[in-house]
Amino acid sequence: MSEFEYLRNVTVGQYIPTESLVHRLDPRTKLLAALFVALAATSTRSVLATLLLVGLLMGVTRLARIEVRYVLRGLLPAAPFIVVLMLMQLLFQGRFSVCETVYWERGFVRITPCLIELVILGALRLIIFLFLVSLLTLTTTASHIMHGIETLLAPLQRIGLPVHEFALANIIALRFIPTIAEEMERIAKAQASRGGDFGGESWWRPDRMARARLPLIVPLFVNTLRRAEELIVAMEARCYLGRKGRTKFVDLHLTGLDWLVIALSILLWVVLWRTPWPTFT
Amino acid sequence: MAPIIRIEDLHYTYPHEGGAVQALRGIDLTIEQGEYVVLLGHNGSGKSTLAKHLNALLLPTQGDVWINGWNTKERRHLREIRSTVGMVFQQPDNQIVATIVEEDVAFGPENLGVERREIQRRIEWSLQRVDMLPFRHRAPHLLSGGQKQRICIAGVLAMQPSVLVLDEATAMLDPIGRQEVLEVARRLNREEGVTIVAVTHFMREATEADRVIVLHEGKIALQGPPRAIFQQIDQLRALSLDVPHVSELAQALHRRFPTFPPDLLTPQEIATAVITCCNGNQASLQRRGEQKKEGSEVRDEGRATKKGDFAPSAPRSSSLAPLLSLCGVAHYYMRGTPLEVKAIEDINIEVHRGEIIGVIGHTGSGKSTAIQHFNGLLKAHEGEVRVLGQNLADPNVDLRAVRRAVGLVFQTPEAQLFEQYVGDDIAYGPRKQGLGPEEVRARVRRAMEAVGLPFEEYKDRITFGLSGGQMRRVAIAGVLALEPQVLVLDEPTAGLDPQARRQLMRHILDLHKQGVTLVIISHNMEELAEICHRIYVIAEGRTVMAGTPAEVFSRASELRAIGLDAPDMTQVAEALKAQGLLPADVVIYTLEQAEAAIAELLLARGAVLAETAAGGQAR
Repeated sequence: MSEFEYLRNVTVGQYIPTESLVHRLDPRTKLLAALFVALAATSTRSVLATLLLVGLLMGVTRLARIEVRYVLRGLLPAAPFIVVLMLMQLLFQGRFSVCETVYWERGFVRITPCLIELVILGALRLIIFLFLVSLLTLTTTASHIMHGIETLLAPLQRIGLPVHEFALANIIALRFIPTIAEEMERIAKAQASRGGDFGGESWWRPDRMARARLPLIVPLFVNTLRRAEELIVAMEARCYLGRKGRTKFVDLHLTGLDWLVIALSILLWVVLWRTPWPTFT
Repeated sequence: MAPIIRIEDLHYTYPHEGGAVQALRGIDLTIEQGEYVVLLGHNGSGKSTLAKHLNALLLPTQGDVWINGWNTKERRHLREIRSTVGMVFQQPDNQIVATIVEEDVAFGPENLGVERREIQRRIEWSLQRVDMLPFRHRAPHLLSGGQKQRICIAGVLAMQPSVLVLDEATAMLDPIGRQEVLEVARRLNREEGVTIVAVTHFMREATEADRVIVLHEGKIALQGPPRAIFQQIDQLRALSLDVPHVSELAQALHRRFPTFPPDLLTPQEIATAVITCCNGNQASLQRRGEQKKEGSEVRDEGRATKKGDFAPSAPRSSSLAPLLSLCGVAHYYMRGTPLEVKAIEDINIEVHRGEIIGVIGHTGSGKSTAIQHFNGLLKAHEGEVRVLGQNLADPNVDLRAVRRAVGLVFQTPEAQLFEQYVGDDIAYGPRKQGLGPEEVRARVRRAMEAVGLPFEEYKDRITFGLSGGQMRRVAIAGVLALEPQVLVLDEPTAGLDPQARRQLMRHILDLHKQGVTLVIISHNMEELAEICHRIYVIAEGRTVMAGTPAEVFSRASELRAIGLDAPDMTQVAEALKAQGLLPADVVIYTLEQAEAAIAELLLARGAVLAETAAGGQAR
C-alpha cells in the first residue's frame, strides 16, 4: 500500500513532548541515570532484582506521562532477536552451567535451573537496555541528548578527542534524517515512474539486488554529497571556523532535583549490586 | 562615508575539466550602506560567483574586494567580514544545521563567541524580524519552504550584519514563500537600514530595487535604476533575460501611442498612466457612453485570441470517456500511526485526450500528492482513480503499463539521474520494459530529439557534466522514452533561468503538437494562462476551482484569498477596473489581451496613434 513511505519507518529521535517532570530533567541527568540503571542491571544476577528494575522503568514511563504500551510496542521489532538469543543460550550455554541439578539432557543440550535463570536474565537485561534508550529518546530531544553528551565528555577534549565536532556532526546527521528519507522517497517514485522497480531479485544474488538498487543509491549519494557541500558553504558563511572562540547557546544546568535523581540512581546501583539476592548461581 | 562594499577590477578563474573558466573578468562596483541592489544574469553569467566574493567564500584571482574597509584577502578579518555580510542561499534545507529553530538561529552568534544572554536576545529579535518567533521551538523539517528560508535569514540577522546577500534565495519557493522572503528583505532594508544584494531570475523582484546590475560573461553589462534598465528590452533579450510583463506591456503601448509612458513597473502605474495619458483630451468625456460597449468587444476579442491560439479546443464531449480521472480522491500519509495526516481529501480532475491541463496550488495544498495518483504511485484511500478506462483500485491492473502510459516528471527531475552517460540514463525505462536494443536506441533517439538534445552529440556525454537545464531535459527524455500518452510535469521550469525556461516550454508544447496530452503543475501563472485549455486549482486538499483560464482568472480575488497570484496582466486589468476604466466582467490574462483592451481604452479617451501622429507631422 505504501511502498514508498520511508519516513514512517524512521523513528530515531522520536520525541513525545508531554512536558512531564522527566522531560524537564537535564539531559545529563537522564544520561547518567540511564547509565547507572544499566550498570545495576548488569551487576545483579537475580531475576527478582531485574524484574524490579523493569517495574521501576515502567513507573518512570508513567511519570513521564507516556503509555507503557507505546514503549513496549516500540520494542516489538527487537523481539525476534531476543528470542533467537534466548534459544542460542538455551542450546549452547547449558554445558557451562555450574548447577548440580539437571532437568533434561540430550547431546550437548543440558537444561539446568541456572541456565533457565541465565536465559531469563539475558532477555530481561536486553529489554531493560532497549527500554532505557527509548525512554531517553521519548523524553529528550535529540539535540539535548547531543548537548548532554558533549558536556559530559568535554573533559576528554583536553586529551585531544574531538568531542565538539563529534556532537555537531551527530546533530547535523539527525537534522538530515527526515530530509534524506524524503529525498529517497522521491527518487524511488521518480524511478518507478520511468518503469523501474526495486524488488523481485532473489536474495542469493546480492550482486543483482545491488545493481537493481543503483538507480536509488547513486542519485541519493550524489544529492547528499551536493547537500553536504552546500551545507559547508552555508556554515562557513555563518562564521563557523571550528570550536575556537565559540560560545554555546544551549544552557544546561543541574537543579536540586537533578542531583537527587543522579544520587538515587547511584544508590540504586550500589544497593542492587551489594544486596545478596537469592540466586541459583 | 566609505561605501560598505568596494570591488576593484575583480577577476576570478577556476579550473574545470582540465581547462580554466573565467567566471569574472574585471568587475568594478561600489555599493553604499542602505542600498537595495539586484543582480541579474543568466546561468553562468557569474552572478553567484560575484555574490560569494562578498563574504570571502571566494577570493579574487586578481583585483580586490573591500568590505567595510577590510580586504577579503586578509584572513585575520574573516570573522568581521562574514558577520558584516550575511548570506542566504537557494536551498533552505541545506543551510539549517540544528534540529530546533532557535538553536539554528543561535549558530552564527555562537561562532562569533557572543555570550549566552545576548544570543537569547538576538534570537528573539531576529525571529521577530522575520515573523517566526512563535516557531522558535519547532523542528525545521516540519516548516514550509518560505518559513525555512525565513529561519535562514533570521540565522544571518542574528549576527547583526550590515549587508544581506540573497543568492537566489527565492528560486525554489512558491509565490507565497517568495512574497514572504521579499517582504522581509524590503522591511529590513527600510526599517533597519540593511543593505540588500539579491541575486535572482525573477524580473519582477528586480522592480523593487534601487539599482539593477546585469552581469554577462563575467562583466557588468548594464547598470541603473530598474525603470531605466527594463526599457532596454532588446538588449536584455540579447543577454538571455526577460523583462517584467508590465514593462513589456507599457512599451508595447508606447509604440502604438507615443504619449503613453514606456517606463512603468507596476499594474497601478499602468492604471494611472491610462488616466493621465490623455487627460487634456476632451474626447474622453464624449465617449464615455460608448465605453461600456467597447468593453464587451474587448472581451470578445480576448476570447478570439484564445481560439486562434488553439484551434478547436480538445474534445470534451461526455460521450468520450476521459483519459484519466480522479473522482473524490482522498489520501492519508503515515496511515495507521499516531502521526497520520490527511494530505488530500476531495480531488476531482478529468483529463481528456489532446488537452493541456494546468494545476495550480501553493506548496502543501496537496497537488503533488494528487498527481501521484495519476500513475498509481499512491493509491486512493477514498474515491476512484481511472486511467485509460481502468479503475486503479482493481488488483488486476498492470501498474507498470499504467506508469508507461502516464509519464510523471517530478520537480527538479535532474536529481533522479544515475547513469554515467546520457544515453544510458534515458534508456533505463525502455530497457526495464524489456525492449530490444534497436527499439531502445530508436526510442532514446526520439526522446532526446523531442527535448532538443541531438542524439549523436549528446548520447555519450557525461550526465553529471551537463548544465542544470540540460540535465533537466535529459530527465524529461528519460520519461518520454516510455512513449507515454499523458505527460505530467511537476514544476518543469522551477529554478531555470529565463532562456532555459523558454526553451523547455517550447519543447513541451512541441510534444503536445505530436499528440501527447499534458498536465502541468506550475506556480508560473503566465505560463499556464497562455498554454492551458483548462486549469484546476487545488487548496487544502480539495479542487476548489476548475475551468478555462478565462473562467479561473476571472476569480482573481478568490485566488488571492487562497494564497495564489493572478497573472500580471490580470492584475493590470484589476487596477483598471478599480478605477472604473474597465467593466467588471472583462477577463484578461495574456499580454495581447491587455494590450488590445488598453489600446481600445486609450483610443476611446482620444489618444493619438503612432501612425496618425507620424502622418500628421508629414502633412
